[in-house]
Amino acid sequence: MIATPALPPGLLGIDDLSIGYGGGQMRGLAVRDVSLRLAPGGALGIVGESGSGKTSVALAILGLLGPAAEMRGLIAFEGQVLAAPPSKAMAPRQHRALLGRRIGTVFQDPFSALNPSRRVGVQIAEPMRHHLRVGRADALARTLRLLAEMGFDHPQDIARCYPHQLSGGMQQRAAIAAALSCQPSLLILDEPTTALDVTVEAQILALLAGVRRRHGMALFVISHNLRVIEALCDDVCVMYAGMIVERGPVARVFRDPGHPYTIGLLGSRPRISAPARARLPAIPGYGQGAAREETGCVFARRCTMREGACDGEQAPVRAVDPDHLVLCWKHPARPQADRPALPPSLRDAGRVHEQLVVAAGLSKSYGRSAAAAVDGVSFTIAEGEILGLVGESGCGKSTLGRLVLGLAAANAGSVRFAGSDIGMLKDGALRGFRREAQLIFQNTSSALNPRHTIGRALARPLQLFEMVPPSLRSQRVRELLGMVQLPSDYAFRYPHELSGGERQRVAIARALATEPRFIVCDEPVSALDVSVQAAILNLLADLRDTQGVGYLFISHDLAAVGQIADRIAVMYRGKICEIGETFQILGAPQNAYTKTLVASGRQDVLF
Amino acid sequence: MPDGFSRRGRGRPSASLIAGAAIVGVLLATVALAHVLAPYPFDQFHIHDRFSPPSLKYLAGTDEYGRDVFSRVLIGSQLSMTLGLVSTIICMGLGVPIGLLCGSVRGLADELVMRLLDLLMAFPPILLVLLILVVTPPGLLKTSVAIGILFIAPVARLARSLTLDLMNAGFTEAARARGEYLWYLLLCEFLPNMWPTLLVEASLRLVFAVLMGAVLSFLSFGVQPPASDWGLMISGGRAFVDNAPWIALAPGIAMAITVIGISLLGDGLRDRLHPQFSGKG
Repeated sequence: MIATPALPPGLLGIDDLSIGYGGGQMRGLAVRDVSLRLAPGGALGIVGESGSGKTSVALAILGLLGPAAEMRGLIAFEGQVLAAPPSKAMAPRQHRALLGRRIGTVFQDPFSALNPSRRVGVQIAEPMRHHLRVGRADALARTLRLLAEMGFDHPQDIARCYPHQLSGGMQQRAAIAAALSCQPSLLILDEPTTALDVTVEAQILALLAGVRRRHGMALFVISHNLRVIEALCDDVCVMYAGMIVERGPVARVFRDPGHPYTIGLLGSRPRISAPARARLPAIPGYGQGAAREETGCVFARRCTMREGACDGEQAPVRAVDPDHLVLCWKHPARPQADRPALPPSLRDAGRVHEQLVVAAGLSKSYGRSAAAAVDGVSFTIAEGEILGLVGESGCGKSTLGRLVLGLAAANAGSVRFAGSDIGMLKDGALRGFRREAQLIFQNTSSALNPRHTIGRALARPLQLFEMVPPSLRSQRVRELLGMVQLPSDYAFRYPHELSGGERQRVAIARALATEPRFIVCDEPVSALDVSVQAAILNLLADLRDTQGVGYLFISHDLAAVGQIADRIAVMYRGKICEIGETFQILGAPQNAYTKTLVASGRQDVLF
Repeated sequence: MPDGFSRRGRGRPSASLIAGAAIVGVLLATVALAHVLAPYPFDQFHIHDRFSPPSLKYLAGTDEYGRDVFSRVLIGSQLSMTLGLVSTIICMGLGVPIGLLCGSVRGLADELVMRLLDLLMAFPPILLVLLILVVTPPGLLKTSVAIGILFIAPVARLARSLTLDLMNAGFTEAARARGEYLWYLLLCEFLPNMWPTLLVEASLRLVFAVLMGAVLSFLSFGVQPPASDWGLMISGGRAFVDNAPWIALAPGIAMAITVIGISLLGDGLRDRLHPQFSGKG
């Protein structure tokens, strides 16, 4: 170890960390001058949108930055220098020995974090056998104890399972057990609940908070989800374009945000109890990712409170109070939260078709299994109406969405679209239906053809349905990209050059290209950052009110559904167990399952 | 399809692409200019120079009749390459569309075609080609066609399995949701994703075809003497491999260079065509 004169105190200390991927002159910094302190047993969260640099910070701690990355600054852990470039203070082998033993890590997707071909118990026991030289019997006993602590009733059975035999939430609990296996003093959580259902998310968050309390271990949480940070952390750092723009205790930052970006972020969260047809105050523009070499405040381009000083130089750090710091010229002034003016609703004008979609007795079962995926479901959707469909994963929501579009054949029942049975449509009429009814689906990794540029993916529906003359096609593509808040030069990119959230936005734009009257949205925003999510939800609501588009909005995120839906249907095991106006379902649920769902969804509305 | 959103010029080509293209380029030039480059006619006897080892006069030595082996290899390349290219074009040209259609349409037609191809594959390949060749007089083009037909089955199976995989992709569902034409889905969405694998398969098939042609000539069912097909030369030189190894070695080396060059080119093109592997322009 190198004896550094000013070793940061505490469990984890980061001083002036900068990370660049630009090659050469550290241009296009992904992380700029980040300094952090985490005390033993503390809990620190980093929140920011994709591309803000939060994951780069975590990777730097783990020593997993790729060879293309350049790094400046100092990272110290438990009084040892982890990294102080250019001298690699700690050899990769020593660094690796710390990982798993003193630093545990939980990633976003538990299924890819666990080895699919090895039993769960073996994967939990292995780190302690390797790092702590614990005997076989001892390791087994500790594994079972850990699994019991993770809330498994029958740890022995779970230990013998392979990952694919467990549900997503169970996998994540097993992954947490594996991370805790060596009793680390620091647990790094990278989007720990993003891949999970809302009911499961609540369980995992409670579990993690309990683990921290019992073992006195420190948490370092990275998330774009404010709810996660709020549930787990004492302190929070808000990152934007590689810089920490605001930091302080969670309660104070979230209740009294000082930076315009934080204010925007908090404001753009969907609310479960949003007034009908309300819009979210979205942050204008889009994140620019790595900070460019511009003078002035990094956020100035999107700031609603921008003034002369903001363009001059980067704002200084200002203290709201001793431990609440803001990187902004204007603090403590509060912006005027001007709500965007609502466009007049076609629905209020009474100019709508009341029965755009009528589903009657839809049933679908796969193979010879006795349980039907969808079991006798009926509902109607009017023009200019959003029907929210909520329920846990595996309850048949996605199958229902495909039945409604005629993409899967129903075993029984019928769907009528604008008066005609879609099962009877042929050729031209079917093509017309395909243009008017679109699908926005969840799977982002294969939603776009990897061989086609974004522009080509968006141009094809325009060409297929002759939406615009060929000469205007590329202009329309740029407009569509603008609608989902993507820069127009993205038309020339390939899908692998986009982040997951950006790909999802392209998939949304592709569905909107045909100017449909009805859209089935299957988890359209669950992969998006709150600020982008707000913009997309607003866009969908605008199309509803101005064009009379009807939606089936499938989501496990009750807040998003509560924000946007006019009516909500709750699905449980293939059946709709409750359906009604949004305020009824969320305010006074009747069904027992709905009550649980609403209760776990409401936990985030703490202020 | 001109959509105005393509992107060209993606950084430097890989080493294997350059090497493969160079080898194949030289090979094709040789095939075209074989008669000009060859120092002697392929069937000219030099009775006094039988079994001469490689020398400046006979670059690759002479065979049992005193024919120049180097000239024979050069001129034989025309036969071997024709055979390889014709049978590859036949098996890819028929196998890929069969696989695409079977994998996307499914149902009874798929079932029937696949069982038929199973039947074709169940026969020992040599036996099948022999069957075709025995009933009619041998000839280069006929041999190529027979080998091409034989290779339809594996190519169609590969194309079908690739198609089945792509049928589950999200963009396929999006295409179905907009009522996309089948031809667009297969040709414009699927085929670009299948190119890399198909290219490698095509280079393999070409190599197999040349080898199979050699086997058939060896069994005296393919090209007939005194033609200098590589397979024929190897089979003829086999008897003298102890005393005059160059007779069999020269066409063997030529075949190895061909195989390596085509494989390198196939691999290089695959990487080049993959947007993720090529440089981010």
